[in-house]
Amino acid sequence: MHPRFHACFAAAALVAGLGLVGCATPPPADDPDAVAEYKQTNDPLEPGNRVIYAINDGLDRAILRPVAEGYNYALAPGVRSHIHNLLDNLGNPVVLMNDVLQGKPKRAGDTLMRLVLNTTIGVGGFFDVATGWGWPVHDADLGMTFAVWGAPDGPFLMLPIFGPSNPRDGIGMAGDMMAAPTGYLPKGLENNVFSYSKTALGVVDARAGVIDDLDKINAQALDPYATIRSLWRQHRQSQIDEAKMPETLTPPAAWGGSK
Amino acid sequence: MLMFGRRRLAGLAMAFATLVPFVARADDADQAEKFIGKLLKDLSAVVNDGKPVDAQKAAMRQIVFDAVDVDGVARFCLGRFWRTATPQQQKEYTEIFRNVMVSNITSKVGEYQGVSFAMGKAQARAEEIAVGSIVNRPGNAPNKVDWLVAIVGGKPKVIDVIAEGTSLRLTQRSDYGAFLARNNNDVQALIDALKKQALAAN
Repeated sequence: MHPRFHACFAAAALVAGLGLVGCATPPPADDPDAVAEYKQTNDPLEPGNRVIYAINDGLDRAILRPVAEGYNYALAPGVRSHIHNLLDNLGNPVVLMNDVLQGKPKRAGDTLMRLVLNTTIGVGGFFDVATGWGWPVHDADLGMTFAVWGAPDGPFLMLPIFGPSNPRDGIGMAGDMMAAPTGYLPKGLENNVFSYSKTALGVVDARAGVIDDLDKINAQALDPYATIRSLWRQHRQSQIDEAKMPETLTPPAAWGGSK
Repeated sequence: MLMFGRRRLAGLAMAFATLVPFVARADDADQAEKFIGKLLKDLSAVVNDGKPVDAQKAAMRQIVFDAVDVDGVARFCLGRFWRTATPQQQKEYTEIFRNVMVSNITSKVGEYQGVSFAMGKAQARAEEIAVGSIVNRPGNAPNKVDWLVAIVGGKPKVIDVIAEGTSLRLTQRSDYGAFLARNNNDVQALIDALKKQALAAN
């Protein structure tokens, strides 16, 4: 089975599973401060989410974090950044698709130039030459696209393996995975190996990049689940706010314009 | 009252639990920008001075206490529970909060070696001034960090740091809020947990 279908099944199983675990009890209506906090956190499925978080955290401590640590130890920072660039470049077609869906010609142009320059001059994406030449990286995914279109996020969800999300972004993630061009390679052993390696490397690269941050959260937060929930929701909101900002079209820095 | 000047008045208003809304103005933005510029210069000087870690920590501690409105941040982080805490608890909490905050900031001082800052623009908002910056750490992608500054007691003070869109004090408040929700909203339990944490960190 292809990894992107695994992801969809995982997401479906999770939503079904959460229903079984139950919901958080809303605070009494005569305590307006508590009600405001409950609404602000937007986590009515908290008990179920915490169960998933505990499982994720256990898997992370047992497998993912040690692997990511080994990866950081074994590979020089330069090599890791080349791998990161490569993965970033492989993700560019999906970013481009979302830039277009969000109606952002400038960001779409940035992504197109990144894809072209980094794939050719950057040797398949190993070198990120585009950033230095005035086409900087930015985030765009289907969850953000839905948000730009005005879709509400829905309650906070802790997905198995994938971590913090919500219905809007979970569906978006599944859509992005199905849209990825690497999923449409002809069937064959080499392409399967490539697909799985890309997925695995993507996970390790992402985890290795946040080792210090997550260690810090686990050491310093009284409630790491709540801290991660808050950080993720704020970060997500800031990505969406940025995507919603109107664009001012300027020539790229490399052509004498200012960014 | 006129001889106090407008800033002093605004500072007093802030000190009195922000009963009078503080409105940031253009010259406050100037002042905030200079203040953050100096703060970032001081911070990068300390982390890159090559001195022993303990000396760096002590220097950083001083900078943090001078630059940050620690008591105000402490109050903010306790949120609605500040009102339900007894005066004794408020005092105890503020004290332990200072320790925990500073030790959290200074604990990884060695990791910040090689860090450099690029200043951005200051922007006056309703009740504070946001000063933008880009933080560059070797081997890491540049981070967008905004510093929220308010005029407290006549002086510019940092009241929040927003890294890549995530507010430090909001995150801290939701951490404490979640802890309290799971401990019968008992502020004493929070104080005890923070004390335990401070002991473990030292």
